[in-house]
Amino acid sequence: MALLEIRNLHAAVEGEEILRGIDLTLDTGEVHAIMGPNGSGKSTLAKVIAGDAGYEVTQGEVLVDGVDILELEPEERARAGVFMGFQYPVEIPGVSNTYFLKAAANAIRKHRGEPEVDAMQFLKHVRERMELVQMDESLLKRPVNEGFSGGEKKRNEIFHMAVLEPRLAILDETDSGLDIDALRTVAHGVNSLRSDERGFLLITHYQRLLNYIVPDKVHVMVQGRIVKSGDKQLAVELEESGYALFEEGAAA
Amino acid sequence: MEAVAEQKSVYLQDFQRRDRSAEPAWWETRREAAMQRFEANGFPTRKVEAWKQTRLAHVTQEHFQPAHSPGTLGSEMHNRLAVVEDAVRIVFVDGILDTERSELERLPDGLRVRSLADALGEEGGVAESHLARHADAEAHPFIALNTALSTQGVVIEVGSGAAPQQPIELVHVMTADTGSVASWPRVLIHGATSSEFTVVQRYMGADGAAYLTAPVTEIIGEANSHIGFYQYVEEGDQGAHLGVIHATLDRDAQLTGHALHAGGRTVRTDLYANLDGPGCSVNLNGLYLLKSGEFADFHTWTRHHADHCTSQQRFKGVLDGKSEAVFDGLIHVARDAQKTDAEQENRNLLLSPKALAHSNPRLEIYADDVKCGHGSTVGQLDEAAVFYLRSRGVSEDEARGILTFAFANEMLEPVSLPSLRDYEREALLSLLPGEEAVRKLL
Ligand SMILES: Nc1ncnc2c1ncn2[C@@H]1O[C@H](COP(=O)(O)OP(=O)(O)O)[C@@H](O)[C@H]1O
Ligand SMILES: [Mg+2]
Repeated sequence: MALLEIRNLHAAVEGEEILRGIDLTLDTGEVHAIMGPNGSGKSTLAKVIAGDAGYEVTQGEVLVDGVDILELEPEERARAGVFMGFQYPVEIPGVSNTYFLKAAANAIRKHRGEPEVDAMQFLKHVRERMELVQMDESLLKRPVNEGFSGGEKKRNEIFHMAVLEPRLAILDETDSGLDIDALRTVAHGVNSLRSDERGFLLITHYQRLLNYIVPDKVHVMVQGRIVKSGDKQLAVELEESGYALFEEGAAA
Repeated sequence: MEAVAEQKSVYLQDFQRRDRSAEPAWWETRREAAMQRFEANGFPTRKVEAWKQTRLAHVTQEHFQPAHSPGTLGSEMHNRLAVVEDAVRIVFVDGILDTERSELERLPDGLRVRSLADALGEEGGVAESHLARHADAEAHPFIALNTALSTQGVVIEVGSGAAPQQPIELVHVMTADTGSVASWPRVLIHGATSSEFTVVQRYMGADGAAYLTAPVTEIIGEANSHIGFYQYVEEGDQGAHLGVIHATLDRDAQLTGHALHAGGRTVRTDLYANLDGPGCSVNLNGLYLLKSGEFADFHTWTRHHADHCTSQQRFKGVLDGKSEAVFDGLIHVARDAQKTDAEQENRNLLLSPKALAHSNPRLEIYADDVKCGHGSTVGQLDEAAVFYLRSRGVSEDEARGILTFAFANEMLEPVSLPSLRDYEREALLSLLPGEEAVRKLL
């Protein structure tokens, strides 16, 4: 059974169809990349999978480990192992990063019938994960994303992922706007978490990320459809030729 | 108009009927003047600017009278009498000073506390110099009534240079035994030069009792004094609280004020701060937490009369169900009050579409070399933040609870008395969605 299976997914915002029939299968242990021009619906796909109520699914299914998650609340999807790294992470005034992570970790554990996190052990785990993404300790006590630089916000998303250890991670342009050092750290975070138990869907605008995280498959998304899939070589071709070729095809 | 005329005469009759022969002449003069002021204007209609958003009908149409004797405290009330750790406690039950439960005898050095009646007997004392000489300058119906009718209260004096460690905790309890009872507590706090102290004033009442508490607290901070003042109001669900805190500060004096409205059918506090000497500073912060059916109101008048003074006001409201709140804050900067630094902020969080918050910042600036800022918002929880939390596994209730708690808790952070802060935090938690989860995370 595939880890993620998307079948003929259509979604709309305010009556306007944005996803126009997406099919995608991702197995455990795999990393897939989705590339595409601005406005093609990449973030919409990520948010629909995460359960953002602002998007209406009009057709299709999204199965995670064989279970249709479209009927689940966002928190239930998270507890089933779905994680989305936001393209634009939200600031949460007054709620510290540690507090947030504890709330999230406990919610997930409760769902699995496990006892709440032990404060000491959790702190140890958090510290290890911070090292993995080389995040400054001061960001732990600060309110989530408040006053973080763009790079710190992206790093913080990877940090949350590393702490929560999801089964399926969807990272929406986590590489955008990062300098090469930050990009390496983010890639290192993802690569260390790669395992047979897990899958990654990397949404990216730039081929550069894929020099550091080698994907098993690359999909090109244009105007709400996946117009081409291939191996990592496709990303290199895209970088050279641009999306124009595909856009004409999609419009037809 | 009939009704208003009738009410005037009701309180005037009460006033005239009472035997005041034992009171000193100076006090009689002030009382008479106050009664006349009330008679001249009556209760404010909604045409009066400062009262236009306050629903008073259930107060003005009732005749509230002082209790003859204090009622009995239920065990739940009894357990809440002492909140502030290691405090000098003074207790009023149904508006009557309870000498048994109060600790007027064991006072630390530099602190003098007397009942209003005792203080009135002293010639040329602090009461004669200050009582009803500051607050009564305001055109305010409930200050006038309090001055005319109050027989219960305390006068607190902190001596020059004194810094008593123990805070003073004034507790006002209204019991369930009483219907239409009025409580008119009068408190005068006098901080002499370079004194430093903290006063906590708490109000609570039994649910179901329709009473009126209309306290007036006058604070006089002489030069270089440092005063901490905390007000906490959790009246019963039918209780009305119309209170006034009036502070007058001399040069270099500092007032740190914190107020929390956590319950009551109608709760309004009018905060006046007169910065009369150069270099003084006022820091006020307030929080109002409303459940369905409640009304809360903060009116503030911060008046910069002298140069180099600073004032900061931060008020936040959390409104649930069908509730209504008012924040109305004036910053007045007189022509000579150069180098004033004044700030005001009011933020409201509506948890329900039926909640209504009014926010009226007002600036009157006559000096030219000043720094004044104000901000005011009324909004809902940030849905993007709710989704962000949920997408990481936190339930919707908990997400809303966490965000609401974070919004309001910021106002408790400046509370320097840990026992009071914990108590206030409990009140905040008990009013939140997802309470249990939020509590665990603290
Ligand atoms: N919440 C929304 N409201 C209105 N339009 C939206 C919303 N989200 C996305 N869209 C529209 O959907 C299209 C796809 O957006 P998006 O999924 O963000 O694209 P991408 O991430 O590929 O750049 C765009 O035309 C965008 O304007
Ligand atoms: Mg996007």
